[in-house]
Amino acid sequence: MSKKYDNSGRSHAGVMILIMLGFVLALGAWFSLAGIGDAMAAPAALPAAQNETPDEVCLGCHTQPGLTIEMSNGDILPLTITEQDFVASVHGENDVTCVSCHTTISEFPHPEKTADSHRDFSLENYTTCKQCHEEQYIKTLDSVHQKALAGGNTNAAVCTDCHNPHTQPRLTDPESGELTQEARVHIPETCARCHSSIYKMYQTTVHGSALTGEGNPDVPTCIDCHGVHNIADPTTNEFRLASPVEMCGKCHTDEEKMLKYGISTNVLNTYVGDFHGTTVIFEQQSPDQETNKPVCFDCHGVHDIKSVDDPQSGIAIKENLLIKCARCHGDGIPAGFTDSWTSHYTPSAKDYPLVYFVNVFYLLLIPLVLGGMVIFVISDIVRRIIDRRKKGATH
Amino acid sequence: MSEQRTYLRFPLARRIEHVAMLLSFGLLALTGLPQKFPTWWISQALVGLFGGIETTRLIHHGAAVVLMLGTIWHILVASYKMYVERTPLSMLPILKDGKDAWQAFSYNLGMAKSRPQMGRFGFEEKLEYWAFVWGAIVMGMTGFMMWNPISTAQFFPGQVIPAAKAAHGAEAILAVLAIIIWHFYGVHLKLFNKAMWTGRMSEEEMLHEHPLELADIKAGLVSQTVDPALKRKRQMVFFPIAALLALVMLAGVYGFINIESTVVTEIPPVRTVNIFDPQTPTPLPTVPPTPTAEAVAPGALTWDAYASPVFKAKCATCHGAAKVGGFSLQTYADALAGGNNGPVITPGDSAGSPLIVIQTAGGHSGQLSADELAKIKEWIDAGAPEK
Repeated sequence: MSKKYDNSGRSHAGVMILIMLGFVLALGAWFSLAGIGDAMAAPAALPAAQNETPDEVCLGCHTQPGLTIEMSNGDILPLTITEQDFVASVHGENDVTCVSCHTTISEFPHPEKTADSHRDFSLENYTTCKQCHEEQYIKTLDSVHQKALAGGNTNAAVCTDCHNPHTQPRLTDPESGELTQEARVHIPETCARCHSSIYKMYQTTVHGSALTGEGNPDVPTCIDCHGVHNIADPTTNEFRLASPVEMCGKCHTDEEKMLKYGISTNVLNTYVGDFHGTTVIFEQQSPDQETNKPVCFDCHGVHDIKSVDDPQSGIAIKENLLIKCARCHGDGIPAGFTDSWTSHYTPSAKDYPLVYFVNVFYLLLIPLVLGGMVIFVISDIVRRIIDRRKKGATH
Repeated sequence: MSEQRTYLRFPLARRIEHVAMLLSFGLLALTGLPQKFPTWWISQALVGLFGGIETTRLIHHGAAVVLMLGTIWHILVASYKMYVERTPLSMLPILKDGKDAWQAFSYNLGMAKSRPQMGRFGFEEKLEYWAFVWGAIVMGMTGFMMWNPISTAQFFPGQVIPAAKAAHGAEAILAVLAIIIWHFYGVHLKLFNKAMWTGRMSEEEMLHEHPLELADIKAGLVSQTVDPALKRKRQMVFFPIAALLALVMLAGVYGFINIESTVVTEIPPVRTVNIFDPQTPTPLPTVPPTPTAEAVAPGALTWDAYASPVFKAKCATCHGAAKVGGFSLQTYADALAGGNNGPVITPGDSAGSPLIVIQTAGGHSGQLSADELAKIKEWIDAGAPEK
């Protein structure tokens, strides 16, 4: 039995109710904030330009091929811009000028570069994006990348690592504000720039192969699980505990989506109805506390999610499931232990008949016993009322 | 009115037993039912009130142990009364109970003249008692399976465990609702029966509820004492057997709690994955690096030692690969080749070199410092040597 949670401070019922109320509110707020769909709507208007150098002046030099500068660490910083690419980019389309972003450059010769390396140059300059994309920039401040950067990891991604400002095509549909399917297909490639082995794994999964192979619009890309801009640390308990409902449950309880693939939408309910899921639902009350209860990805995989029927690792095959159970319950568990979990089935005469017949038994027994009791009690109440009235009348 | 005569119905030990059952049953229900309905707000509130799900389960298990110990105590007491005291088996259901129930119901419907006359325990009490026995057996067995699922799966098919969970939850609902409907009505609403707290019942209450027992008491049939010698003889047999039985049962409870540590307390090891492994070649636009020049003697006023580094730093952005104006300072040969308008450097003649003319005029995009300009002049006048 686990006794590791210290609850000594929680004794007063009144205080507890207040805490509970506050918690419910906080939980609601958290859920609404954690919404990972992120409108990438462009800003309504460009900020007033302080610097009105026309692009032609810049392009006079910067379209020369091979224009570079050598940084003090030997990195070569390319300075050539391909005009056609820029014009075709979302910035070009919206008449963003060179100096809208390169705000410090207004004359020639340009101010001395202070960055020592190519990376330093990116890190010095990416904050220029917040001039127009403040909403997204603020979100990134909470992201795992920004935390890594603050911790000194200069490899951590900043705006320009994912969005090349000179060539970035439009990602959203101008009318709906939703990501275009074209953009979705390329999202994993963007993340792969730094997370290449995860990307390779993802490409082999039931989701990844459908996205990169078929351009399937229903499957999740990286950002559907990890979010975009405010990408949270996926190793926290908070992330784990929210994942069944907030992550996997989002699509896997969607009738319309699941019908196409013949996948049950009852997977979340059956999970919550079982021991592990019930516990996780309660543990969401204190998301910062350690948990050892499995969530979807502990059995189905993290970036290696295969079809449950996959002959190598599919967990519809009991031998494969047993390995998953053994990760927490030890290697000594009997093979039959896998059936202590009903594998998302709703018990029926065919699947998990014993559970089904227990349910049927109580479905009959409970109304029979309670119904009998209720009928007797009501008859007794009525009789007593009648008797009392009679008694009153005869007196 | 003079004080009514009262009769002892429940000695103190029975009343304590009742309180223990009441508390453990209540706690079991309060800590158990929320787990059956985890998404309900009331469940969330209750579990929060108990201090989280782990603590809630700890309380549930603790209350279950109290109930098990209470059951063992009850079995021992009942056995003592049956064997040593030879108390009549007043709780055993008999045919009369069925008849009584039917008569009571018929009377309520107006089809019988009177209520049934009942003894020490009426059909309502027997129903409740035996329902509790049934519930305790079902809850105990299914509880064991959930508490020790791995051990259970060694002997039974795995699906026995979810079946046990289904039965445990359904039986809980049945038990709680039965208590609310049957027990609350029978002893709290119909008339407030305080016998389980005071231990006593008034003559009038006895007359209404247990007239046959009252008659037996008045006839002197109830408090017949056992012959002391015979009683001692029976005790000599009973106590060793009861002690053994108690030990076996206590060992059972101990096993119940400790047979396995299914409740995994450790956090399973985290699967690690290589997070940062950038693609190679890096997708960033980079130009191929220029080959590093041979080591040169520093300080010499040559292309390699002085002029080239200065040009690279100050001029290469435009007059490098970009060749603005057709002029490049990338290599010695490029420098001497000149630009679109002819030579830029005339070795031996700095005044006639356009490079010096333009730089001296000032305002060029890449402007050499005065010191650099003087040295470059000197270098050109020296014939612009390469090495």
